[in-house]
Amino acid sequence: MNAKRKTLPKGIAAGEFDKAIKELKKILGNENVLEDELRLAPYNKIMMPVPNDQHAPSAAITPASVEEIQAVLKVLNKYKIPVYPISTGKNLGYGSAAPVQRGQIVMDLRRMNKIIEVDPDLCTALVEPGVTYQQLYDYLQERKLPLWFSCPAPSAIAGPLGNMVDRGVGYTPYGEHFLFSCGMEVVLANSEVLRTGMGAMPNSNTWQVFKWGYGPTLDGIFTQSNYGIVTKMGMWLMPAPPDFRPFCIQYPNEADITKIVDALRPLRIAMVIPNAVVIAHTLWEAPCTPVKRADYHTGPGAISDAAVSKIQKDHNIGAWNVYAGLYGTKETNDANWKIIEAVAAGTGGKIITEEQSKGSQALQYRFDLMKGKPNLGEFGLYNWRGGGGSIWFAPVSQAKGSETLKQMKTAKDILGKYGFDYVGEFIVGWRDMHHVIDLLFDRSDDDQTKKAYACYDELLHTFAKEGYGVYRSNTAFAEKVAATYGPVKRSVEKKLKKALDPNNILAPGRCGISL
Amino acid sequence: MNGLSVFRLLAITATFVAAGNAQADSSGKWQSSQEVYNKVCAYCHEANVAPVLTGRNLIPQYIQVIVRNGNRAMPSFRESEISDATLAGVIKLVSTSAPGALK
Ligand SMILES: Cc1cc2nc3c(=O)[nH]c(=O)nc-3n(C[C@H](O)[C@H](O)[C@H](O)COP(=O)(O)OP(=O)(O)OC[C@H]3O[C@@H](n4cnc5c(N)ncnc54)[C@H](O)[C@@H]3O)c2cc1C
Ligand code: HEC
Repeated sequence: MNAKRKTLPKGIAAGEFDKAIKELKKILGNENVLEDELRLAPYNKIMMPVPNDQHAPSAAITPASVEEIQAVLKVLNKYKIPVYPISTGKNLGYGSAAPVQRGQIVMDLRRMNKIIEVDPDLCTALVEPGVTYQQLYDYLQERKLPLWFSCPAPSAIAGPLGNMVDRGVGYTPYGEHFLFSCGMEVVLANSEVLRTGMGAMPNSNTWQVFKWGYGPTLDGIFTQSNYGIVTKMGMWLMPAPPDFRPFCIQYPNEADITKIVDALRPLRIAMVIPNAVVIAHTLWEAPCTPVKRADYHTGPGAISDAAVSKIQKDHNIGAWNVYAGLYGTKETNDANWKIIEAVAAGTGGKIITEEQSKGSQALQYRFDLMKGKPNLGEFGLYNWRGGGGSIWFAPVSQAKGSETLKQMKTAKDILGKYGFDYVGEFIVGWRDMHHVIDLLFDRSDDDQTKKAYACYDELLHTFAKEGYGVYRSNTAFAEKVAATYGPVKRSVEKKLKKALDPNNILAPGRCGISL
Repeated sequence: MNGLSVFRLLAITATFVAAGNAQADSSGKWQSSQEVYNKVCAYCHEANVAPVLTGRNLIPQYIQVIVRNGNRAMPSFRESEISDATLAGVIKLVSTSAPGALK
């Protein structure tokens, strides 16, 4: 065995693994099969509260084409070696670029980064897995195409395909990313290449414009799953509106969340506000302002409510800070602006316009995200606790005021018990909300790391008991999260896995699916 | 000509701001080390999110290790994202820069 090898896939003998690696090198070339610990290091930088070893890859491969992927899968099937596909690999706080289980080979698709087509008439794009949002942004800028896309906060370094297959969200009217994808190309475990929807038909030119095709619509089973390797994705782009008016509305009290949600829901459902409204808590805004936690709280334990109030006063941050935008023509936006003003006045909120936001870092990055302009402003969050520990706890809630206050209080109590702050926001989808909480901890501190694990566990199970499930999970908790959704769904998923990947070589364990 | 011109009309008042002063590039290949700095590092290191790197004579080997391994709040970057050769250029740029020189 390669003397330097420290990690192997579960149940695979070193000699067999060496043989497989040799065959992979023949397909991909030596430099595209990474085995040395040093070269594998970037694939093992995680933020989750579990040891790195638990998610260490045995190797990484960087194929450059569908044909190479097909050939690789033949080898992996032969040796029954599991592979974990990533696209841009920036699933930070959900598992980063590391495999869900120790020893899996990471299949890094970042080199497959062609923007295959942008149709300026139909406002569609077809992209490969390695395309970043920054790259797509540059593409549209260079060609002066007045088209916008929606991106998540780590936009500059993440990408549309990886984000969409994990069912991520963004902040323009196209923010529910899976909803605005249209057509996928998927390499199946047996090396067959499936095009979904209209793409299945030879010579079709409607792949990126009509989602459903004929018969069952299959796209959904390739998101948050391990049934195939997605190698192309169609996505819809939004015509840049002639007039874009982002705004923030600040509210002074935590309990205001109830009336905020109830006042905004009708506007969101009726699409007066067409984008995902974000309702961010003080402690999400503070680190992005940036405010230093140490100036308000020292020692162990969660920050006090009094300190949070002081931050609000010192830095003009609301208890809740609502972000949304109007997208239209000047005339329609003028008309809708009156509605926004009336709602703010009626609920005791203070409006901050784009003009008034100048100079505020926290507002600026949000306003940029609402028009799909890449930035990394939200990484300010990691300076709050320091130490690079983060897992997202993101239960889904109804867009009803009473629900939000209940969820927020439950989360805050549990976090406080373990000494963690409530750093949360609600993202109003359409009728739902993603209640996104960043469980921030110092990963260089063993005690905090253990507590973060226990805290997530308690959050997950307490919320599940109330009937609240998370929209997505980090890889360390994939199995536990899957269990909260009940046995029937899991047994169907297993049957599909058996049918599509009988050797269980594609990311076994992802989203709790394995044979 | 086609729908595009309609969009142009529609978008007459829409603002488009080019990303920094870097030469835009959508080919998926970095054109220069400065481009990597502008479109990756600077979003954090020139934006109050991460410590300023310029003007500190940071040791090249140190930068290399931090970028590949990540460190605490700093994410890691893979060869598939920034190749060794390109990273070497970024490191040179950063380690020899005057304070604020790369903004
Ligand atoms: C500060 C901060 C803010 C964030 N804000 C947001 C946000 O606003 N919205 C949001 O959605 N997320 C957010 N995230 C989480 C995450 O960083 C993004 O979702 C990011 O887009 C995911 O990484 P990626 O796009 O590089 O996808 P990848 O890491 O490439 O993919 C994600 C997962 O999908 C699967 N996968 C990837 N490619 C394939 C493929 N080709 N075939 C099959 N399976 C595949 C793998 O399991 C992989 O682990 C945030 C993270 C941070 C640190
Ligand atoms: C997503 C934000 C982000 C990006 C992008 C980023 N960094 Fe960092 N970087 C950080 C943070 C945050 C720290 C501080 C980490 C800590 O101590 O918790 C850091 C620390 C560092 C350090 C150590 C600095 C010191 O004071 O010792 C170096 C060197 C570094 N980064 C280099 C780079 C380079 C080069 C790039 C571009 C290739 C880059 N970083 C991209 C966030 C980022």
